[in-house]
Amino acid sequence: MPSPRWALAVANQTGQSGTCSAAVATVIPLAKLEERALVEEAQAGNRQAFEELVRIYDRDVLRLALNLMKRTEDARDVYQEAFLKVYRSLHRFRFECSFYTWLYRIVTNVCLDHLRRRQSRPEDQAPESHSASYEEGTADFFERQKEHRPGLDPERHLMGREIQTRLAEAMLRLSPRERVVFEMKHYQGLKLRAIGDALGTSEETVKNSLFRATRKLRQELGELR
Amino acid sequence: MSAADTRKSCDAIGPLLFFYVCDEVNEQERAAIEQHVAICADCREFLETERALQSELASLPQASDQLDPSEILLSQCRSNLSEKLDDLHAPAAKEKWLSLFWLRRWFTVHPAWSAALLILFGLVTGVQGTQWLTGLNNANALDQAVNVRPALKLTNEQLSTMAITGVNFTSDPDAGQRRVRVQLSAEQPVELTGGLDNQDVRRVLTFVVGNGKQFDSGLRLDCLDALKTLSGDVEVRGALLSAARKDQNPAVRLKALEALRDASSDHTVRLTLLDALHHDSNPGVRVEAVNLLVRSLEAENAREQNDSAHSDKMDVPIVEGEQDLDSLNGVLRTLQVLQRTDPSPYVRLRSAAALREIGDRDEQ
Repeated sequence: MPSPRWALAVANQTGQSGTCSAAVATVIPLAKLEERALVEEAQAGNRQAFEELVRIYDRDVLRLALNLMKRTEDARDVYQEAFLKVYRSLHRFRFECSFYTWLYRIVTNVCLDHLRRRQSRPEDQAPESHSASYEEGTADFFERQKEHRPGLDPERHLMGREIQTRLAEAMLRLSPRERVVFEMKHYQGLKLRAIGDALGTSEETVKNSLFRATRKLRQELGELR
Repeated sequence: MSAADTRKSCDAIGPLLFFYVCDEVNEQERAAIEQHVAICADCREFLETERALQSELASLPQASDQLDPSEILLSQCRSNLSEKLDDLHAPAAKEKWLSLFWLRRWFTVHPAWSAALLILFGLVTGVQGTQWLTGLNNANALDQAVNVRPALKLTNEQLSTMAITGVNFTSDPDAGQRRVRVQLSAEQPVELTGGLDNQDVRRVLTFVVGNGKQFDSGLRLDCLDALKTLSGDVEVRGALLSAARKDQNPAVRLKALEALRDASSDHTVRLTLLDALHHDSNPGVRVEAVNLLVRSLEAENAREQNDSAHSDKMDVPIVEGEQDLDSLNGVLRTLQVLQRTDPSPYVRLRSAAALREIGDRDEQ
């Protein structure tokens, strides 16, 4: 799984990352210098600098939004709302934390708002993307092809599918905060401290959220084990 | 290590195993976990389970890979954001307009109230608007007449073919002058508005008075009323004389004579009065003619006295016009005839009185 660009930034700040290499570590300070200059330019009203900043982080932001919201329309809304908030309040950023932390604080807050709003409207629950796609027959072409290699066990293949379906359903039952923490830890590759910074909470709280989330998922998969 | 020690260690290590797999433990915890797992089969198995779970979670297909595999959504989002930023940088005027969007939002949130408000707005606009328009028209008609075609020149041909649909007389409080609005259709509908000094307005009124057969008697009376102060004008006087002689309606003839009151000493007017005395069938018209003749003679007498006083001072001989003498004699003869033969006793009495008044003047 490729690490998001911001994970590298986290590695630089927290001092360690499972995916951080020495080569990357030497590049980051330069990148951060560039980033600081870009932020300052954007704060001075340079639209091009702001768009450059957006392009540095927006792929990861959209990825996070898609994974959390599971729906393109919602993800698009989160993307736009988050970056517009960033644009409007950029002048208030004082470099007291890294730009990515500040940015992801905004992004995660927008995501949490959307998830909470959706939770309060049961009729507006997002469809589970991959299971729905199987039902509708719109999954990837290669996914739908029969496995002809004799080495693969069809039963195990089916079990794997079942586990994935269960996990996806269990994910929907997590609280918005648990979901965000789980997503940022497992799919964005962030350290718990960085997640705490982004969510504006302590590492301990994030730890508890992640633990609870994993326990719920484990319970869901208990029957299949 | 005893079984109790191992269990105690399991209670301490167990919760850390999850974070160990997540790589979220410090070096000290890591060392303790690895040491414990090496001797505890249960925790080792639990650790493997955790690793398997993490592996399964990592292998889960991510929504982002399925929903936007070719990053088309990312491009759309970038484009939309760029448009939004353009909107934010739009000119101030546009932003002002956008600030009205709170109203639109309110309408959206309160559909019932919005409908009620719109209906109310429509009613008020309809009622008030109609009243306002009516008031505006009335204001034009009564107070602030607008000269629609100030440069209009009606030809004689147009006058002869025109049909008048309405004449309104208004008083201009500022100028103390009468204003007239004439609506007529000649070759096309025309509206004339202006004072009596307006040449076109005067021509139309004069034409109506002078061509009585073509127009309603009420209209002719209105026009006469408007023109009565203008008997000094040659054209107007000609129309008044024509109406006094030829109009079929006695009220119009009487009004025409009244309008000629200020010009009664004019020779042509006096001839018309005499003609009326001889030929007019209406006694009221004849009496008015007698009155005007007496008035004209009185005016003539007063003028002669002034002239004689002036000639005494200036030693200038008085030369009385032959025409005036003829006229005076004609008046006397006519009055004498009327005194004896007029079928109306009132005319006879008024003629006798007039003769006496003239006699008194002669004696003086």
